[in-house]
Amino acid sequence: MTVASHHQNFVRERQPLQAALTEMATAVLILDEDRQVEYVNASARELFMPVDPIGCTLSALFASCGVDGGDSLFAAVNVNAEPAQMRLRFSDERLLDGMLRQLSSGGFVLSMDDVTTYVRNAELAERDALTGLANRKALRDRLVERLAVAARTGQELAVLFVDLDRFKAINDTRGHPVGDALLRKVAERFKVSLRDGDVVARLGGDEFAIIQSDAPQPTAATALATRLVDLIGRAYAIDGQIMHIGASVGIAIAPKDGYEPDVLLKNADLALYRAKDAGRGCYRFFESGMDEQMQLRRSMEIDLRRALALKQLELVYQPQFDVASNSIIGFEALIRWHHPTRGIVMPGEFIPFAEEIGVISAIGEWVLRTACKQAATWPIPLSIAVNLSPMQFRGGNLAKTVMSALERSKLPAQRLELEITEGALLDYSDDVVNVLKLLRNLGVVVSMDDFGTGYSSIRNLQKNSFDKVKIDKSFIRGINTSVENQAIIRAITSLASTMRMKTLAEGVETEEELSSIRAAGCDQVQGYLTGRPLSAEAALTLIESAFLAQAA
Amino acid sequence: MSNDLYRLVYYSRNAIIGDAATLAAAITSILTWSQVNNQRFGITGALMFNSGCFAQVLEGSQSAVEDMFERIQQDDRHGDVSLLAFEPAPTRAFENWSMGFVGGSIEDAARYGVLVQASGFDPARMTGEALFATLHGLAIEEEYSNNAV
Repeated sequence: MTVASHHQNFVRERQPLQAALTEMATAVLILDEDRQVEYVNASARELFMPVDPIGCTLSALFASCGVDGGDSLFAAVNVNAEPAQMRLRFSDERLLDGMLRQLSSGGFVLSMDDVTTYVRNAELAERDALTGLANRKALRDRLVERLAVAARTGQELAVLFVDLDRFKAINDTRGHPVGDALLRKVAERFKVSLRDGDVVARLGGDEFAIIQSDAPQPTAATALATRLVDLIGRAYAIDGQIMHIGASVGIAIAPKDGYEPDVLLKNADLALYRAKDAGRGCYRFFESGMDEQMQLRRSMEIDLRRALALKQLELVYQPQFDVASNSIIGFEALIRWHHPTRGIVMPGEFIPFAEEIGVISAIGEWVLRTACKQAATWPIPLSIAVNLSPMQFRGGNLAKTVMSALERSKLPAQRLELEITEGALLDYSDDVVNVLKLLRNLGVVVSMDDFGTGYSSIRNLQKNSFDKVKIDKSFIRGINTSVENQAIIRAITSLASTMRMKTLAEGVETEEELSSIRAAGCDQVQGYLTGRPLSAEAALTLIESAFLAQAA
Repeated sequence: MSNDLYRLVYYSRNAIIGDAATLAAAITSILTWSQVNNQRFGITGALMFNSGCFAQVLEGSQSAVEDMFERIQQDDRHGDVSLLAFEPAPTRAFENWSMGFVGGSIEDAARYGVLVQASGFDPARMTGEALFATLHGLAIEEEYSNNAV
């Protein structure tokens, strides 16, 4: 090969290389040994427009884009004799990954890739669009990373689950734009509550979660939860209106409560559930056993939903006596649940739960119809008392249900007594008063149950004009030794008689209690002394013997 | 409209823990911050404080008042915020930004008086006198009730 042809080949080979260098997307700058730029390709020229990089030092060039530290790159190269990498954030928000290499021929080459879109997209994929907080996926990713670090260092780590109380009501009544504005303010309050390094995410709806690492536990989580409950519970001014929400917090701590991300998240959720159960606006730590309790609850929920259909519910009837004549005047219908494995479950154990899961209306209606039907079979017209849950006043069907139960059973309205607690008056006051008025007009007797244990507001007695007051058994217990209890019962009976209401003493167990109650002026009595709750058949037998005695 | 003039009135429990010097330093920083930012966002009003509580009137556009209130709500130096009013106002009751110490104790008054003078606080020049009088009374009551706790 001649020298000339060799040269031609060389040029032919170099030309595409030259073109590639000039036109490639990566910005390339070649610096001489004095660290001044001596060559830039087209991308690099465009990158630094309008500044011409030729002849500039790296520091000066970077400074023109609002970036410090051109020299530190050289330091890194010189120390390690390996390429130095750094991410540069230009003042116009462009992001570039730069790599500086020392050339074997002397001088340096700096290559830079614009990663703005790539990084932004990756960030967006990790963000909740509404609040800008991390999203569920990002939270889990961070948790995996933090748990790995914590496992190495032996440090503890807390996961906090936070639910907003009353948010759904605000979102529904004030509209979604207000709800969204509220969520953004809540997100701000989260941010001011956290330390650098903590991660807060919106999991969706009104659910948030926090990862707290590098802090002594459980003190740090306690402090943060306390702060969040306080701060998020403070009033918000939005759209010219003031609104209040609350925060409930559940906390799980690794490794104590789990070192797998999903276990930890689940346990924080269980603890949150407990916080909500405890009345909201508070925090709870995960405790072992919560999982079993939750499973127990779930299975009980399934059982209770089926109880009606499987005919596991039964009514028992406790007799009520007139104190003066010592004769039977009626029965209170009480519910029992015959659970296949747990045996007989008392109402105190499942009625609150039935209210919570929303099956109380169906159960309440069944009780009402069954009791009316049963009472209609009795040979003498005794009264039948049925308990109502405050929840049954919701929805506005109660009066219709009562009328239908009376009609179907052919039981005269005067024989039906409905017992309600004061709680019903507090929660649904106006509706309740109207329904009670309607029912009393039909002739139904209305009594206030458990009087003395709740608010015992005399105003409630007055405005609803009840027919009867049932004095709670806690006042009957110890009536013989407690002067105070005697005074209380005397006060209630005298107040009731002034308002033309009857009084019934609940839970009477001894002859002494009965005579004290008689002395205090109570009209009626119910308790183990005068009769335990009986099955429908046993109650009928009792009534028949009373009927025979009456006839004799 | 978010440009309508609104007035917000609240009082809150002073949560600054520490001695008189700490409280004075905190109050100075609140005062400086308030003066700068309230002017920037067109907010006028009054801030009263004593060892027990803060009482504040904010007046401005609805959005400015809402933003300012949110900043205040995020502040750890107080708690138990009771809102007395948040409503449209026909005119501003406070022409400028005022700040006053309204504590019951003479010692405290002497201690914080310097701060107050620096803020140009002069109740006599306030047009929101009635509002001020109410808040003033409340603040004094609160100071004593908090001290009793």
